[in-house]
This record gives sequence, C-alpha cells and structure tokens, in this order.
Amino acid sequence: MPKKDHYVIIGNGPAGNKAADVLRENDRNARITILSDEHFSFYYRHKLCDFMSGVIDEDTLKVKFYKEYKEKNIRLRLGQRVEKIDPDSKTLFLKHMEKLRYTKLILAVGSAPRVLPSLLRYKDYFTFMSNYNDAANVKSMLENIKNPIVIGGDLIGINFIKMLSRLKKKATFFMYYKSFWPFDLDIKKADAIRLSLEKNNIKTISGDPVKTISRRDADYIIETESGREIEGDALFSFMGRIPNIQFIKGSGIDTERGILVNEYLQANYKDIYACGDCAQIYNLELKDYWISIGWENSILQGEVAAYNLLGEHRIIKPMSKKIFNVEGIKVKTSWWNQLKT
Amino acid sequence: MKEEKLYFEKETEDFSGNIRAGKIIKEVRFSDNPRDIKYVSENIPCQKACPANTNIPGYIRCISENRFGRSFELNRMYNIFPGVLGRICSRPCEEKCRHGEGDLGKPVNICWLKRAGADLKSPWHRNKENLYASTGKTVAVIGAGPAGLSAAHELATHGHKVTIYEAMENPGGMLMYGIPEFRLPRTIVEQEIDNIVRLGIDIKQGVEIGIDIKLKELLKQYNAVIATTGCPSAFNMNIPGEELDGVFSGFDFVKNINSGSSPNIGNKVVVIGGGYTAIDCARLAIRLGAQTVSVNLRKTEEFMRIDEHEMAQAKNEKIRIYSLVQPVRIEGKSGSVKEIVFERTRLETDKSGKGRISVPIENSGFAVDADTVIIAIGQHPDAGFAGSGIKLDGQRINTKQGTYKTNIKGLYAAGDCVTGATNVISAIARGREVAQEIDELFVKGKRKKKVVRFEPSDTTDRKRSYDFIPQVKMPTLSLRDRMQNESNEVELGYDKEAAHKEAKRCYLCYYKYEIDTSSCIYCSACIDVAPRDCIKMINEVELNKDGTLGDYIETSDWQKIAAIAIDNKRCIRCGKCYEVCPMDCIHITKVELIEQNLEA
Repeated sequence: MPKKDHYVIIGNGPAGNKAADVLRENDRNARITILSDEHFSFYYRHKLCDFMSGVIDEDTLKVKFYKEYKEKNIRLRLGQRVEKIDPDSKTLFLKHMEKLRYTKLILAVGSAPRVLPSLLRYKDYFTFMSNYNDAANVKSMLENIKNPIVIGGDLIGINFIKMLSRLKKKATFFMYYKSFWPFDLDIKKADAIRLSLEKNNIKTISGDPVKTISRRDADYIIETESGREIEGDALFSFMGRIPNIQFIKGSGIDTERGILVNEYLQANYKDIYACGDCAQIYNLELKDYWISIGWENSILQGEVAAYNLLGEHRIIKPMSKKIFNVEGIKVKTSWWNQLKT
Repeated sequence: MKEEKLYFEKETEDFSGNIRAGKIIKEVRFSDNPRDIKYVSENIPCQKACPANTNIPGYIRCISENRFGRSFELNRMYNIFPGVLGRICSRPCEEKCRHGEGDLGKPVNICWLKRAGADLKSPWHRNKENLYASTGKTVAVIGAGPAGLSAAHELATHGHKVTIYEAMENPGGMLMYGIPEFRLPRTIVEQEIDNIVRLGIDIKQGVEIGIDIKLKELLKQYNAVIATTGCPSAFNMNIPGEELDGVFSGFDFVKNINSGSSPNIGNKVVVIGGGYTAIDCARLAIRLGAQTVSVNLRKTEEFMRIDEHEMAQAKNEKIRIYSLVQPVRIEGKSGSVKEIVFERTRLETDKSGKGRISVPIENSGFAVDADTVIIAIGQHPDAGFAGSGIKLDGQRINTKQGTYKTNIKGLYAAGDCVTGATNVISAIARGREVAQEIDELFVKGKRKKKVVRFEPSDTTDRKRSYDFIPQVKMPTLSLRDRMQNESNEVELGYDKEAAHKEAKRCYLCYYKYEIDTSSCIYCSACIDVAPRDCIKMINEVELNKDGTLGDYIETSDWQKIAAIAIDNKRCIRCGKCYEVCPMDCIHITKVELIEQNLEA
C-alpha cells in the first residue's frame, strides 16, 4: 500500500490555514500538519491592539479554535519552531531536536518585526508587538507604564501610540517617515500625520532620528541626532515587517527579501511552495518579483499554493495597489522592490 | 622520533567485521598512519576547512587559559599574520564549525578569537622561530603580498637568504592596498611584516620585474625565483560606457584611496559586485561623503562571498543592497557618468552543473542615476613580468601538476597568480608550500612531516553549560566616529572577558572520546545523557578501500551489538557521557595534527 502523503505547512496564519483547508477538501487521506512557533491558535493580528487595551477578549481574538483543526483531521502543532530545512531529504529540523519528514511543504511563515540597521545594536532594548505573546506581555506591562517611547515607522505603530494616548499615557512617538513601511512618506504627509497625532496630545518627533539608546536604572534614555534627550519607562519598536525567512537561508531554497517563487508559488524545489507575507513572487507581466502584504493576499495565495501543490497550475495575480488611510492622509502601497530592507 | 601505528591497529590486520577492544592511549604518541591523518580531517572540521590547517581548537583553548601569547604563536606556526587575519579572514573555518550545525546554534567566532590572541598578548611577547642553520642558498620572491611574505618567512627560517622584489612603494600587497584601513589598520600590517623581515629578508620596494630588472637576470642571480604576483588587474564588465569619467574598478578605487588620493565621487554611487571589494568600495564611498550608495547583485545576498558581519556593518552604514539586477550599459553626459541601466534577472538552475545562475529577463531594463559607478567583480593575474615565455592557463600562471614549478627553469609560482583570486589565508598557505618545495630541493629531502599527536587527557576542559553561551558580539565604533575619519577601525576587538566567554563556546573538537569496549558493561547510561545522537550501538565499522575507517553500522538488536561507540563526527564534547559512565570506560585523547621535525 503506498504511503500517505504528508503535507506540512509551516505557519498558522491566514495563508497557512487557507492552504490546509484546501488541501483537506481535495485530499481526504493525506496527513496534514501545521507547525507554528506560537503557542496561541490562529488569531486576528490586526486586533492585537484591541486585545491589549481590553476592548476584546482572547476568544474574540481567535479566528479558529483547536477543535476545528481536529474536526478536519489537520494536526496543529503549536510551539514548534523549525530551525532548518533540508529539501533534498525532505526533512524539517525542529528546535526540540525532532526531525519531521514531509512529502510536500508549504512555507507560510509570515513576517517578523523589522529593525533598522542603525538600531540593530539596541534590538535587545525593544519591546515588539509582533504576535499574541508580545501582546499578552505588553498587556501585562501597560498598567505600570507612564511615559513610553514608541519608535515608529508603520501603521500598527500609529494605532499603538493612539491606544496609549487613549489610556492616558504620556507617550513620545519617534516618526521615521523616511523609512516608513510599507510605503514612502514625503515630508508633507509626515507633517500632516504629526499634526494629527499632536492633536491627540501625542508628542511626535519627526526628522530627528535616534542616535543612541542607553539605560538609566529601569528607564531608557534616547539621545537624538540633534542632541535632544528623551526619557521613557518602556521602549517599543514598530518599523514594519520583513519576511520571516532567516531559518531558510542556507537550505538551498532561493531567497532574496522573501522566498523566491515562480508564478505558481513554487520555490526552486518542486515540492516546496511559499505563500503569504514571506513569498516573493515572480510576476510575468511586471517581469520582476513582488511581495503582497496583508490578510486578503495571504488567503488568496494560500489557496493557490495548495491547489498547485495538488497538481494544478494556477497563476497568482497581484492584487491591485492598496490605498491606506493614515490619519486622514491617503497613501498608496508600493511594490516590494521599492521597499527598504 | 617515537612512532607507532595506533588505534585499531590490530583490526587492520584481521578485520573481520567485529569490533575488538580498541587500544586506548596511555601516553603521548605520534602517528603518520593515514587513518589517523584522516581522523583529524574528518573530526576537526574547522582545521580541515582552514587552507593553512591552523590548529584552531588549540589556540582557542589557550585563550580560555589566559595564554594569549601561546595562542598567537600556535597561529603563527601556520599563518604568519594572526593579527591581520583576525580582522579580515574570510572565515572558511566558521562555515564548518560544528557549533553552527543545524540544531546547535551559531558557529564560534574563530576569527575574532584569533585577533584576541594577537591583540591581548603581552606587549613584551617573545616570538618563537625555529631557525635552521644557514644554507647559503638564495631565493628571489616577486611580490610582497601575503603569499610572497609567507614564502619568504618559511625560506628564511629554513636558512635560505631571501630577497623580495615589490613593485609598489610599500610591502603587503592586497593587505596594504586592497583593504580599507577601517577594516585593517596599517600599524597591524606593518608590525606583522616587521616580524617577518627581521629574519634577514631584504625587500626591494618600487622595483618592477620585467621593467626595472628582467626575470632572466633574477634567474641567473638566485638559486630559485618565486612569483607571487597575485591578482592585480581588475575584470571589466565589457558593457558600453565603462570608459566614462566616474567609472572605477573596485580594486583601483580602494588602491587609490589607500595610496592617499581622495576621488571626487559625487552623491550617488552605484557599486557592482558581491564580494569583499564591492562592500569595501561601498563603505569607502559613504566615508567620502556619498549620500546614497547601493551594491547591486546579479544573484541574491545569499550568494555573496562575504561574511554576515561585513554585511551587517554595511547595512548599518546605510548601504542598500539590490539583488537580481544586471548592468547593461552606463550612460554619460559630457564624458562623465550620468546613469546606469540595469535589467532584472531571475535565478535558474544551470543544466551544466554550475548550480543556481542568474538569467536576464528580457525587456526589464530600468535606469538608476549615478555620479560614480564602481565595478568590483573580481581581479585576475598579470604575468607580464615574465615575458612571452611563460605558460599560462588563461590569465593564470601554469604550474606542473602537484608542484609549484612553472615551465621556466628555476621559476616557481604560488598564490593567487596561480589559482586566481582566492583569499589571504589560502595565499599564505600556498606561500609556505612553495617554500617547502624549494627547501626540499635545496637540502635534498624533507625536513618536516605532518603527524598526528595523541595525548591522553583526564579532563574534558568543558562544561555542558558552555554550549548555551550565545555568540559574543564584537564591539564596534559608533556611526559618527566611523565617519569622522575614514581610517578609524570599526571593529574594536574583544577584551579579555569577552574573549574568554567566546572561547568557552568552542567544542574543542580535537578531543577524541572513546569507549573502552573491554570494560564497557553496556548499561547505556552514556546514551541516555547524550544531547544528540552521538553515541551509537554498532555491530560493524565500514572499512574504506584505502584502509581508513568509514561509518559505523548501527543496530538496535541487542544480539548483534558489538560495541557502544562514540561518533566523534557528531559528538559535541560536552563531557556528559564521561561524567556518568559507572565503569570509567570513556577515555579522552587530545588529537592534534602537527609538523614534526625529521632531524635525528
């Protein structure tokens, strides 16, 4: 009797879940495993701010509950970090020293917080808000925080600082408009956003980047390029996100800023596909690679990746450029290759 | 020399597929058995990866013991530039470090520990040179780069009189002219060159062979001549516009700045290439005041020939890396660069076996404004000094297989002029080898040979907790201080505490762990505590055709188990098995590849 296929999906976000559902609908017999390094089931990432501030509870944050995976005979393994992939032997090496074999693999590993190279040395000082664990951690910190500092260059950062303001925290916002993510902000737009934030009593510093960060007792001291000194009792970083592909590098799977895949979302190994925020997709019309970010894109790509893994040849098309509304300013997203590393 | 063929000796005679009691080392022994030589190459991966075969676990252990001078000397036996290589080595050893294997974390910062040995040794440190008596033989070396200086040093210690002819104003070759000062302070280069030339080596600077002196004259004047002329000529892209003002070759760009000039580069600098020279050019351009500097790659960052530390520093200095682009032409205005036109590429697998290659995408061109374009895609040798009589392989000097002899009698060649551009540590290794070949010719025999030294040890020198120490970061200069003076060294070096901490991370793979099967009671306590699958139940050991031992053949059937054995290729020398063994049947032996003097 031939051995059952074992489809492994790394990542329990929208792309990974959609892919798992499509695989199960079309292959009743295969083993399907989702691996996630998080300990919390599939949730709405964009609602983390609401969760932190107590607007919604844990159950409302969740998209899918554990029993739903069980019903579909999909094995969900939470808290399992993949450290290495060996595509030749089709083996995953997990952090707890387990080797896991697959017949076909979908990489839906999403993204991780971006840190500007100039601030990398202070990475250990930053609190990120990247996932449920981070949010739970911040939630527990909020009560004791009085004057937080937020280094911000993305939309979530703006939402976060506004939430702090609503909670009556005396927050300072460093706006990195030249490194904003995922689109460039010109000085005019940056000024408009700054004014809007200041109307909400948020002290906003723009165009005067951080020079050094040091600790004084439990506080963080920021010295800016112009010599200003800002003190805060917590330090958050929101500089956008980058594909979470560090563990893939060196495996033989082609990567650039994301995992390089063709128009079928197939990597340079025939049984490996990538989808969602981590995939850098070749576009036949653009003659270039691009990355789409966001929930809808991830779901669409998860679906296409799963169908192609099952033998179809669906071509992924880029979603149209999206217009974001940032503090009343309309800003268009740009292609990935125009973004900063 | 006390020589004995050691471990598994008896099994070679009547190897029948069954493991017999191994012979455990009780005192210091030496062996030239190919099995033992092979053991070192398979089980000490960093040493094997080092082109100079440096005893890496040995010098790292010295740092743990606060013996920085000894660490420096252990290095200097094989690599006469520890202070230099501790800063700019391309680190082939770290790529193979067992600590960097999938489930074990990150490799040991071997390079920076080498630097710690050099930087933290006593200011009154005494260099140790094993000097042979003078032979009266004379050798000319053409080129005072790493290969030439290495050859000269080796020859000088063997008693030969050496004269180096260097075309440039100062000795050092690429070290002096091809690497920016912010990565390699010139005081370090000068100090290590002084340590070499004070053995009585003459350096004639500013003398170009083929122009100032003919090669023929050198061949008449000296018993042997070695060409170590490196790769001084830059490759061109062969695209339109390379002749425009504002287009530089990477090597010339760095060389000119290192020679004291300060080119006007404008605000926008585009660098082509993915090696150390490309990144050096980009970082120099930032220091010269460029506002935007990009490094452009045909493939992706993963295929760059630089280490992650250099990449991180470049990004920190706001250098942008663009992948999957290929230059098509450079456009100019009034004879100067105006923009560079690229086309996009994608990766494909080459059918002839070259691996992943970049393939241009048709009609995908786009232009990028530029004031300066730096083409840093590599260098090649220039054998013009030898005239037309020398045999070449393309642009490289041809040497007879297995030797360093060229087709011209008395002329030897080594280093990058033979191999094409490699790295400094390879050039140093080849310099030693050509010197040894010439020495053998002069004295009609070998003076040294490589043997394996075994020394029993009653300590693991490690604790399991050391395995969880994260990589110790290199302290660096602030961005502002870097830009204040372009020669300010960026990496500041470990202090003693940091060096100790990083040294502890080394698994010390030169320790060989063995189970004495004559006293093992098969309790499997060692297997239970092993942090990975390094202790195996086996029923056989493969025997290779060349007589060396191959892999263990494992079994889970207790009826078939011939031995419980430690696979030293998997072992991380944590010492847990040694601690728990109730029969004390686990033995530790220090195994080192050394050069032994053959003099009676």
